[in-house]
Amino acid sequence: MIRRFGVVGLWALAMAYGLWLVAAQVSVHSELADLLPEGTTATQRLLLTQVRTGVAGRLMLLAIEGGDPDDLAQASREFGQQLRATGHFNVIGNGALALSKQDQELLFRSRYLLSRQVTPEAFSVESLRHALEQRLDDLRSPLASMIKETIPGDPTGAFLGILKDWSGQEGPAKHRGVWMSEDHSKALLIAETKATGFDADAQATIQQDIRKTFEALPDRPASLRVVMSGPGVFAVEIKQTIEAEIWWLSTAASTLVVLLLYASYRSVTLVLLSVIPLSTGIIAGVLAVNSWFGFIHGITLGFGITLLGIVDDYPIHLFSHLNERGSAPAVIRAIWPTMRLGVLTTVIGFSSLLLSGFPALAQLGLFAVVGLVTAALVTRYVLPVCVPPAFVPREVPQAIVPAVAQLTRAKWLVPGAIVLATFMLLWSDTPLWQTDLASLSPVSEARKRLDEQLRHDLGAPDVRDLLVIEGETAEDVLQRGEAVMSQLEQLRAGELVAGYDLVSSYLPSRRSQQARQQALPERSVLEHNLQTALSGLPFAPGLFTPFLDSIDAARTQPMIDRDTFKSTAVGLKLASLLIEQQGQWSAVVPLRGVADRARLGEIVEGWHVPGVAYVDLKEESNRLMTAYRDRTLAIVAWGLLVIAAVLAVGLKSISLLRPVLLPMMSALVVVVALVNAAGESLSLFHVATFLLVIGLGLDYALFFNRPEGTGEERARTLYGLLVCSATTILVFGVLACSKIPVLHAIGMTAAIGSFCCLLFAGMMADEEAHADA
Amino acid sequence: MIFGRLLRKAITGISFVLWLGSVALAAVDALPAPWTVDALVALLKEQREPSMAFEEATYSSFLTEPLIVRGLLRFAPPATMEKAITDPFRERYVIEGERVLFESERKGIKRTISLEDYPALRGFVDAFRASFTGDAVQLQKVYAVTLEGTRRQWTLLLRPRDTTGQSMVDYILFTGSEGRVATIAIRSPDGDRSVMTLLHGAAR
Repeated sequence: MIRRFGVVGLWALAMAYGLWLVAAQVSVHSELADLLPEGTTATQRLLLTQVRTGVAGRLMLLAIEGGDPDDLAQASREFGQQLRATGHFNVIGNGALALSKQDQELLFRSRYLLSRQVTPEAFSVESLRHALEQRLDDLRSPLASMIKETIPGDPTGAFLGILKDWSGQEGPAKHRGVWMSEDHSKALLIAETKATGFDADAQATIQQDIRKTFEALPDRPASLRVVMSGPGVFAVEIKQTIEAEIWWLSTAASTLVVLLLYASYRSVTLVLLSVIPLSTGIIAGVLAVNSWFGFIHGITLGFGITLLGIVDDYPIHLFSHLNERGSAPAVIRAIWPTMRLGVLTTVIGFSSLLLSGFPALAQLGLFAVVGLVTAALVTRYVLPVCVPPAFVPREVPQAIVPAVAQLTRAKWLVPGAIVLATFMLLWSDTPLWQTDLASLSPVSEARKRLDEQLRHDLGAPDVRDLLVIEGETAEDVLQRGEAVMSQLEQLRAGELVAGYDLVSSYLPSRRSQQARQQALPERSVLEHNLQTALSGLPFAPGLFTPFLDSIDAARTQPMIDRDTFKSTAVGLKLASLLIEQQGQWSAVVPLRGVADRARLGEIVEGWHVPGVAYVDLKEESNRLMTAYRDRTLAIVAWGLLVIAAVLAVGLKSISLLRPVLLPMMSALVVVVALVNAAGESLSLFHVATFLLVIGLGLDYALFFNRPEGTGEERARTLYGLLVCSATTILVFGVLACSKIPVLHAIGMTAAIGSFCCLLFAGMMADEEAHADA
Repeated sequence: MIFGRLLRKAITGISFVLWLGSVALAAVDALPAPWTVDALVALLKEQREPSMAFEEATYSSFLTEPLIVRGLLRFAPPATMEKAITDPFRERYVIEGERVLFESERKGIKRTISLEDYPALRGFVDAFRASFTGDAVQLQKVYAVTLEGTRRQWTLLLRPRDTTGQSMVDYILFTGSEGRVATIAIRSPDGDRSVMTLLHGAAR
């Protein structure tokens, strides 16, 4: 009695402490990025960082629609101004204004370091004379007032040249000075958020503010709407999807499990008792994942509820064997060896998720392994002492034994199913393997189409094609960037790429800056040349003193680098184009509208510039996925061997292996065929679930083939087995309904798999084993 | 600066004389037809010549003397307008609908820009085009229009309505008689001006 209270008391204490830890320490994330792999090579890591935090990841595409072009243009102008004032964005582009005043001033100050026009010849009498004559023309032109103020300080036009270079790439069509789609049905804006695209919380706030700002636009015709797309918008949608899914998945699954348990045994006590190992397992899983990874992902939580359907097997096994003669502690001692073997194989199954190395799966794996082991231990040591002494579950229908025995007559169906499945696979039009990382994303098709449309309209880079330039120092990278600039320009002229964004177009290397400084003449020389060039021209005397001062200052001006532009829009752009990672510098050059990827790859390779490579991110990430999948396949194979070995030792018999292992293997083939027939290609997540199916199925086969004494005991075992598998199939079935691809894949594979395992295990159960027993 | 002040004085003086003149003329003007902006632009369109020679002087604080260019203005209905400078260098602006073709011999440039990209330019174009095509509605949409004087001697003052326009142009002032424009002065906010004098019947 004392021991009993001691155990229950300890358990209650541990639970209370666990609950407190869950409430106080566990942090739940819902960002998809947290589940993506880190990448194994430096390049992969760089690319993934680029996707997550780079400029492409921070682009938000906006469109105003639902009005005539004039209204749209007016709204776009005001909207752009208001958005700039929110402080959420580095840049808002709508065609109206590209650079802020602060940026323009910085550029103007640094013009002689930045300008490509600065050569020794640029300050000769002839060049100056030519430039001055052009300035006279400028003064006569209708646009004079726009550029007039730069003339005294910059008669050679260095600043305007820089602006022209920087705005180089052609934007979308325009109406009334702002970007419009070709058909003038949408005003287009592009925004670069300060927050990264994967920071869903920040992005949600930004999107709310965008909507508010739009609603509050003065004189906005009521028919106008704003639509948004981009990685940040996706991140918010994904987060919301995940949060909503977890809620309904766990509600549906736990309700169904409780109802099924009650319907099967008509006992509230039994349901309540089952809650003991279930709740302990789930809390242990949550805590384990949180302490190992530092957070638990929403998807892991959603998956965690499937544990309900697996873990409830343990108490059910216990209850199935309870009868008037044996007390709970005695029963558990009797069935513990079989249960232990079942736990072990299931744990090996789940560890395939853990070992896949894919963060999303590793979390699920750890959660399941810890949850299962904890629940099994609680069933072994805590649950029996909690069972009221006289508690016996209701009688189970005896007819179940012959009914199940009938199944073995249909044994021939198993090879039949395998043959059928093989043919289905051979003739299927659905590709066997899914290698697209995009399949991980629960973003709706409509959203993806909108994104594609806006990207096309805006000519914005998609997060796919990059040129990567690597080097030891920033200077190395910038020099290499300058080396490939002309080649990139050729590619654009040859229409192989529609556009590119190269850091060297904005920030010259120190070498170039030094060369430019050396090209600047001394004041006396310049003054003389200027006076000569000015003779006969009607410029006011002393007008160009600011020019002389600027050149003088520029000769000793400190070099500019990435940090010069810190905290300006240009600076943030530079920071995203020139990256330092672990002492290694890289320039990332987003490419737009790549016409022929294979040819581009060949051409870039043909440049033979060290450290420069073309990367197709989609290709790269798919390769990453494929690598993970192959690794997981290998783990599944090794896992099978380990399970077989464990079984052989546990069952102390090789001959028993056949009826235990064969149903699983057959079930796997059928699962693959059925998933494929449902129009789905196998992804990493399906594959990782295979071993889980094996682990689950073995549990059934073990109990099917467990030597039992009386017919009544066998009936209880079988009944329990049916309830166990029903709950398992149920929760995985719920999971299969999820809109989150990871959960859907796992749910579908496991639900079909455990059903097939159960059926085949029943059909192939070794009758002789029972006859002997 | 001193030069600028002198100019301003001169302009004030001239306008005063013009005003006096118009008052005097108005007194003897027997025609009762109302003299409105609509009437003026209708008349401008009616009496428009397909091409006119012009002389344009640019006054700027950057310059010691005005820059003079000469050339031709051409019109081809409904909306094509050309300003061709022939002396001292050759340069052309052809405005067709929303597009402007810019051609400069000296700079070796020939390119088409969209008026959408140059809101400032659009202001001038609207002023010219609307005035010479009789589009009083468009003119008054973009500018606050003040017509003074009489049919014989009138001034048409245009002030941009929106801020973009105001940052580029203080005002545009047309002077003329009947359906003939005599001068078009454009003053920018910093005080620099250009004055275009049209020579009627002189161009072929």
